Amino acid sequence: MTTEHPVNRRWSMRQRDWAVVFWMSFLAASAGAFVLFGLVNPLDVVNVWADEFSIGVRLAYGLTFAFLYLICLLASSLTMFMIRTGPSSGHVKGEGGHSIPDIQDPSQSNPDLDGENWK
Amino acid sequence: MSQQQDAGDSLYRKDPKVYPRDVKGTFASLRKFAVVALLGLYYVLPWINWSGHQSVLFDLPARKFYIFGTTFWPQDFIYLTLMLIIAGLSLFFVTAVAGRLWCGYACPQTVWTEVFLWIERLVEGDRGKRIKLDASAWNSNKILRKTSKQILWISFALWTGFTFVGFFTPVRDLSHSIFTLQLGSWEAFWLLFYSFATYGNAGILREQVCKYMCPYARFQSAMFDKDTLVIAYDENRGEPRGGRSKSVVPTDKGLGDCISCTLCVQVCPTGIDIREGLQIECIACAACIDVCDQVMDKMGYEKGLISYTTEHKLGAKESHVFRPRTFVYAFLLLSLTVGVFWSINHRVLLRADLLRDRNALYRELPDNRIENVYTLKLINMDFKPHQYRIEILNNNDMVLLISPEPDLEPEEVGNFILRIQAPASAGRGSVKLDVRFSTMEEPIIERSVSTRFLMPFD
Repeated sequence: MTTEHPVNRRWSMRQRDWAVVFWMSFLAASAGAFVLFGLVNPLDVVNVWADEFSIGVRLAYGLTFAFLYLICLLASSLTMFMIRTGPSSGHVKGEGGHSIPDIQDPSQSNPDLDGENWK
Repeated sequence: MSQQQDAGDSLYRKDPKVYPRDVKGTFASLRKFAVVALLGLYYVLPWINWSGHQSVLFDLPARKFYIFGTTFWPQDFIYLTLMLIIAGLSLFFVTAVAGRLWCGYACPQTVWTEVFLWIERLVEGDRGKRIKLDASAWNSNKILRKTSKQILWISFALWTGFTFVGFFTPVRDLSHSIFTLQLGSWEAFWLLFYSFATYGNAGILREQVCKYMCPYARFQSAMFDKDTLVIAYDENRGEPRGGRSKSVVPTDKGLGDCISCTLCVQVCPTGIDIREGLQIECIACAACIDVCDQVMDKMGYEKGLISYTTEHKLGAKESHVFRPRTFVYAFLLLSLTVGVFWSINHRVLLRADLLRDRNALYRELPDNRIENVYTLKLINMDFKPHQYRIEILNNNDMVLLISPEPDLEPEEVGNFILRIQAPASAGRGSVKLDVRFSTMEEPIIERSVSTRFLMPFD
């Protein structure tokens, strides 16, 4: 009888990353919407647009939140991407990291490079 | 234990400070030329006038952008979007053909870092001297050199910040307000903020911006293929590497052409070893090519051990500049550029917004006529004053009254009350109206707007 270890049924690292991105963006967009609508009455904005689009107050709230959520998602997913693909993982072709290169005096083992302004 | 293992499970590894060595050569000269040309444009452009305005001025309070004699209004936002798309496509095209040309020669990070490095070399000396100075105890010489460097860096950063604000506030007024100590708080904030960003990015962070912060470096691999120009070390020719004197024939000692002088590493602004292969950190500045060519010359070997090449060429295959990817990028770029410039040249220098007064549906006049009131906003986008003619295109029975007279100065925005009157017998309910606006002087400047005229519904 084989019993699968519970950890194996957990999410992969990538799935966890995305879950964090979606949840944190939601929280940030919610906070943003609270502050924004504390300062701006969507009715004022809706009235300005009334001639061109007839959108209700609820739709104005919803669209603004969706916009904020989208911006937060964009920023969070880009941050995740930048962290996950940093040079610590090394080579662009995925061949592993590089150690810090050794540097030496060029003339140390090359006598003909002596006398240049290279030391 | 390797450095990778030292880093343990941490995402980050502390990198040693990079002291790039000065380099001379063809590509270094090209980069210096790019630095002078681009920074020249940046620092000089705000001081040049064009058609009565600063050549490049983003006048945010007035919501107008002046770019080489053309004024962009908020309604021209689409052009700004298209310009950004053109800039993005240019980057794709250049990257597909020539790799990270942008990073090595034109990116502001590279350009300003080059100037900060030049100042550092001027005050503290080249690589060896800078390492020694940093390692030495604090004495009068070190204090003097470090202080002088900081003063020069901060002055240059402040000048950069001042110029940046000069693209948003007329630069002559800005310099006057600085000398008379009347700088506005927002201007002062942006001046200091941009100076701080320049100082921090080009003076302190340098290669770390390219390695850790720049998204382009991460995305560029999507634009690369095996025919894209990259900087590469010819491993077949160079290995096995090792020191030797000029008189030694490398093959006799079983050596390749790389003499292991490590100068390619010492000149690298991002501190990598190009001999390890194509790396995400390489900004393709070609400093390693310049220095390696000089070493090859000195040793009497053929140049080009490190060179601009393609993956195909390295694998002894044929390389192509023209390929589907470059054709698609070039076609999109060309058609969009031509389209945008044609559209800018043919845009109508008049904007008209006609809004029906929403306080009353209509008004019944004593002479059995119906009147609707509109708010008219006219924008003269031209550099000349104009008188405007307004007419209703699809209804001859209607009379149009406007106050005040629609005369506008150059670039003036005018608000008017427009009354349209029609006999009560002219219709019922909502009638569609086409109103045409044109200038008396140049009939080519004309625009038509549709609106609704309300009559009694019964």
